[in-house]
Amino acid sequence: MDLINNLSLGFGVALTATNILYALVGCLLGTLIGVLPGIGPVATIAMLLPTTYALPPVSALIMLAGIYYGAQYGGSTTAILVNLPGESSSVVTALDGYQMARQGRAGAALGIAAIGSFIAGSFSTLLVAAFAPPLSEAALKFGPADYFSLMVLGLIAAVVLAHGSVLKAIAMIVLGIVMGLVGTDVNSGVARYSFDVPELTDGIGFVAVAMGIFGIGEILINLEKGEAREVFTAKVGRLLPTKQDFKDCAGAITRGTLLGSLLGILPGGGALLASFSSYSLEKKIAGPNAKPAFGKGNIRGVAAPESANNAGAQTSFIPLLTLGIPPNAVMALMVGAMTIHNIQPGPQVITSNPQLFWGLIASMWVGNAMLVILNLPLIGMWVQLLKIPYRLLYPMILVFCCIGVYTVNNTTFDVWIIATFGVIGYIFTKLECEAAPLLLGFILGPMMEENLRRAMLLSRGDAMVFMERPISATMLVLSFILLLILALPAIRKKRDETFVEE
Amino acid sequence: MNGFLKNKDLLAGLMFMAIGTIFVVGAYNYQMGTAARMGPGYFPRILGFTMAGLGVLIAAIGLKNQAKWAVTEGIGWTWKPVIIITVAVVLFGITLPTLGMIVAIVLLTMITGMAAHDKVYRDLAMITVIMCIFCAAVFVWGLKLQMKLFPWSG
Repeated sequence: MDLINNLSLGFGVALTATNILYALVGCLLGTLIGVLPGIGPVATIAMLLPTTYALPPVSALIMLAGIYYGAQYGGSTTAILVNLPGESSSVVTALDGYQMARQGRAGAALGIAAIGSFIAGSFSTLLVAAFAPPLSEAALKFGPADYFSLMVLGLIAAVVLAHGSVLKAIAMIVLGIVMGLVGTDVNSGVARYSFDVPELTDGIGFVAVAMGIFGIGEILINLEKGEAREVFTAKVGRLLPTKQDFKDCAGAITRGTLLGSLLGILPGGGALLASFSSYSLEKKIAGPNAKPAFGKGNIRGVAAPESANNAGAQTSFIPLLTLGIPPNAVMALMVGAMTIHNIQPGPQVITSNPQLFWGLIASMWVGNAMLVILNLPLIGMWVQLLKIPYRLLYPMILVFCCIGVYTVNNTTFDVWIIATFGVIGYIFTKLECEAAPLLLGFILGPMMEENLRRAMLLSRGDAMVFMERPISATMLVLSFILLLILALPAIRKKRDETFVEE
Repeated sequence: MNGFLKNKDLLAGLMFMAIGTIFVVGAYNYQMGTAARMGPGYFPRILGFTMAGLGVLIAAIGLKNQAKWAVTEGIGWTWKPVIIITVAVVLFGITLPTLGMIVAIVLLTMITGMAAHDKVYRDLAMITVIMCIFCAAVFVWGLKLQMKLFPWSG
């Protein structure tokens, strides 16, 4: 059994004392930022990237992955206790979770969220382990034309799953791609769009852009609104759900896990979409006569989205590890982390760095187990943390952002970049242009140009090559169908409903 | 007239048109090349045109719905915190390599703290001290990053 051999190799790496420690640090940090509203995993991972320079690559990735799924976990605590989503993926958890808390069943809600997440995490880790190797093998047969079309499909799918205007999302992707092209062109050596600024000939730093838009930009938006946070102080109650709860939730957890795993693989997907869709699905299955009604404290409304977002968080590693194509903004940062350590993400990682590949996968399971063991007893501490007001939090976030970005290249220029992109991010949010697609375009831009050039060179300038190669043609047809579906009024209405749910 | 400034689609469309045009114009400085041997200007030019085109579409849709936008609350730009934070971050970039980390952090937290609705000076002073100690311990002494701590340290 290859799978078992591979996994035991992975656990050999993940269970060394150092890596357990980094998984623990990642999970704790992830939960911390998940609990705190107003700072998300993208900004945190961007902030911490520089501190992972000194670590071995496996440990660095294990810690960063821990932050991502830890954040999904922590977000649910805030959603249930404060009726505020700590993370965007916990928005739907707040609907029923907070109602349960008001009925004195906060403990059961937190417990089922933890148990559902753990089951989903274990299942999806196995899924990653089982599907990654065959997919990487298939990916090795991809030519430049296939890669280009795959990225087109990925970006289009990201548009489908973004909220708001489709046209704006496409425009943001295009903007991201051109921004990614700033700097020295590898083929000709020409410095593009550098405006004679020497720092720009190396391109705009990805970390700086992400930190500016998602770190500083978010602070600017948060500062606009005053703060209203009401911490639920009554007793949390017993954490272990009752037998009846388990019976009610078994189906919800299973469906949430399956749907979440599937949606996580899709480009643009990941945890956010997974939790929204599984909540809608669960609500539909339960029907209008569910008792208690959805939105009034039905435990299934907590179990399903919490399982789904954790499953989605894990499976979104599949496209990254097998194709080298990040499906969402967090995975785009993981690409950054891998490049920092001189690892080119893509299908060759599994053969060239099997330790890293399987170690990372095994660590996901270790991390999930850790989250259950740690977080249930630590809930009291997280509740205390929720009492820190935002006016004290954001100056601290700013200090970490500024020092973090400065240490990437030891240059003041990057600090100015985050200041600039903070303002840009603020303007984008104000004009309802979502920034996540921009970040995806930014990381994929140079890869797209490179593959486009190669494909066209091989075909001697004949663009038909994209339709003649079966893999490439399939991807392009799929992208086209997706765009077509998006244009249909009925679907558009449905999509808007999904995102403004309740 | 004011009604147009409430129109998020129109403004976003104009923004994309402007940025797209800048990239197209810029692309003319670089060799276009042929489809088979693309020069550095080829891909950016296509993208610039695409972006400008999308901008026109978005703005047109915005104009079509102008009546709906005119009755909305408006965008509600709040520039005060934006300016305070941006100035503070830029200042941090200048002071960190010259005057050292401690001065840079004190300036950053004290200035940005002014942007909050409910500032409490005692709390602000407290987190400034905490951040100085924490960052010095973690970044300079712990991770041994190359950073000046005080104005007088070398």
